[in-house]
Amino acid sequence: MASRLSLVQGALPVFAALAILLLVWQFGAALLEIPTYILPRPAEIVATAITKSGLLGDALYVTLVEAVAGFLIGAAAGILLAVLMMLAPPVEAVLMPVAIVINAVPSVAFVPLVLLWFGLGMASKIAIGALAVVFVVLLNLLAGLKRPEVEAINLMRSFGAGPLGILFRLRFPAAMPQLVTGLRVGLARSTIAVIVAEMMGAYSGIGQVIYQATGQVDYLTVWAAVFVAMLGSLALYGVLVAIDRKLVWWR
Amino acid sequence: MNLSALARSPYASVVYVAVAWLVLVPLFSISPRYLPPLGTVIADARSVWPDLVAGFWRTLVETVLGFVAGTILGVGFGIAFAYSRLLERALFPIFVALQTVPVIAFGAIVVIWFGNTIMAKVVIALYLAFFPVAVNTLRGLELADPQRIALMRSFGASRLQLFLKLSLPTALPNILIGMKLAVALSIAGAVVGEWFGDTVGLGVMLLQALYFEQIPRVWVLIIACGLLGTLLYGVLAILERRYVWWRPD
Amino acid sequence: MSDPQADASRSAPLPHLQMVNVWKRFGEGERQTVAVRNVDLSIAPGEFVTLIGPSGCGKSTLFSMIAGLLPPDADGSVLLGGKVQQDGQLLGKVSFMPQKDLLFPWRTVLDNATLALEVEGMPKNKARARAEALFPEFGLKGFERHYPHQLSGGMRQRVALMRTFLFERDLILLDEPFGALDALTRAMMQRWLLDIWAKHRRTVLFITHDIDEAIFLGDKVVVMTARPGTVKCEERITLPRPRDGDIVTTPEFTSIKRKLLAIVEEESMKTFAAAS
Repeated sequence: MASRLSLVQGALPVFAALAILLLVWQFGAALLEIPTYILPRPAEIVATAITKSGLLGDALYVTLVEAVAGFLIGAAAGILLAVLMMLAPPVEAVLMPVAIVINAVPSVAFVPLVLLWFGLGMASKIAIGALAVVFVVLLNLLAGLKRPEVEAINLMRSFGAGPLGILFRLRFPAAMPQLVTGLRVGLARSTIAVIVAEMMGAYSGIGQVIYQATGQVDYLTVWAAVFVAMLGSLALYGVLVAIDRKLVWWR
Repeated sequence: MNLSALARSPYASVVYVAVAWLVLVPLFSISPRYLPPLGTVIADARSVWPDLVAGFWRTLVETVLGFVAGTILGVGFGIAFAYSRLLERALFPIFVALQTVPVIAFGAIVVIWFGNTIMAKVVIALYLAFFPVAVNTLRGLELADPQRIALMRSFGASRLQLFLKLSLPTALPNILIGMKLAVALSIAGAVVGEWFGDTVGLGVMLLQALYFEQIPRVWVLIIACGLLGTLLYGVLAILERRYVWWRPD
Repeated sequence: MSDPQADASRSAPLPHLQMVNVWKRFGEGERQTVAVRNVDLSIAPGEFVTLIGPSGCGKSTLFSMIAGLLPPDADGSVLLGGKVQQDGQLLGKVSFMPQKDLLFPWRTVLDNATLALEVEGMPKNKARARAEALFPEFGLKGFERHYPHQLSGGMRQRVALMRTFLFERDLILLDEPFGALDALTRAMMQRWLLDIWAKHRRTVLFITHDIDEAIFLGDKVVVMTARPGTVKCEERITLPRPRDGDIVTTPEFTSIKRKLLAIVEEESMKTFAAAS
């Protein structure tokens, strides 16, 4: 009961700020007579999102499926690589340089490449989504796995634990906060990378809707699509925060 | 720096990757559609050298301007959040939400707002750089240990002195973490910003390479983007080692 | 050199732990430093031995070698139950408690206590049942489901001790376990530890830098020299057991303390002089 009350109190300033922001936007734009193509009013954006909900809903669905699939593949690959590197230092010595070099390149630069490799369908979007996630997860998790102090490792050794025992009982739980950080950053990146890839070439998806609307100078639809995309990524983010609470409950 | 430390440095990894590229492509006869030979890529880079240098310079300027502006704004908001609980509670969640906005989608609108100028790209880079810096500044400022604050108070420190001599130095390592994240994002912002009507820049060249399906050119540009990122990251790392070498405990 | 095993068999009972001419050097040639030199030490079964010495005397190195974390140099050997222990063989044979409690923040108090049993492969519910039986005795009843950050320093230390006790090995190695506690809590924990020891009769090697603690707890106090550390002398403590807090004010206690204090101070001065 108390926690629900404090939740309401915590959300109050946000809603107040949001309301002020939207009101200023709505009436400021009207007062200054800013044309819609420069800055549409919030009410217009929401109205457009509702009238075009069929189109936008289908597009959002495609984008989210691509983003989540890419995220899951990338996260799984990142976790696997980090564990492999932890258990076998030679693997780290060989693959780490490659990871560092690829990670230095902004993932949007790979968009043309994946489009040329995998075509305009969903595969290329999933690939770019996975690419945007894999190295963040790898680097964060590996740093986390290496975090436990020597004394704690020695304690486990004195109990007769081998490398696997130390990995699963000590290193993995200790790395959870950093893994979750990696996943969180990765999810945001994969959604944006997928939308960028869709803008450059796709059959459907939010990015494609934005691209086409831009071409038709239909900025209201662009704003509505961005609004819908924001709702979608917020929902994904919320799911991840809930998972975070489950995984890292001890903080 | 001795030889074995040099061999393990991140700079050496560039050499390893180049060697692997030279060896692996003929060894497994990888199709040029996926990875052209390094020689082809270098030859392609030389064929467009003046454009490449001009594009690199342009994108660099856009990135740096956006990054610096985003960092200043981010640190400012971080400090404001740290000192006003109400502001933090009211605005922070909104910023989290805005962060999920694919700002790239606004490319066309930003161009309408700022014209087809360098300003449009700078604004996109700024938007992306701002958030990680603000979050990390806030986290860093919250790290100041209450006992040390009490100690400073007992010395009669004013709020400003407390901030300049304790809170800010405690937060600096974290601010740098945010800035390192922001560098990569501002490059992405600048590159994508160029897609909405421009004639010079790495992003422009990337778009052209996609339309003409020039795979070696795409690789040239990927390397150029990587170089740009490494360069800026390296500058930050040097600044960090020189001026922010301590760690919060 | 005489055969240590033959020596040991003459003096009954067989020592539980024996160190024979143990050395540990770090580095090579010019830069070599000797951390521990020529240590001979034996601990009888069920004996409570305390070890004191000036800071930096190589106590931790000695400790790591007994725990099996660090192999001794080839000159000497560590024997457990009369058998020479090769590299790494001691791992899993000694229950060990480091200075820091090293509780895992993601595990409850109960699951921290059962950590060693789980590593040994005991099923979780069986390990938990065994640990739960010890909670009243360790003064932790009712805290089974708490997390380490919810406990006080003294309680955390008791959880760490319970973890060590549950890893049932004949030799228990404690490295300044009460070093971080305040004086009152520390005195209580010392008396409590003696109760537990009297009940379970394990062999204990207890490292400390507190002379009072060493005398109060031990059957035997071993004093180490300044670095490179070796055994300076051994003092048998014949104070009657069970011991209570008042014993520290008796003339017997004071005279032992005076004697040991002089020795430890002499060694500390050496460390101090070497440093300045």
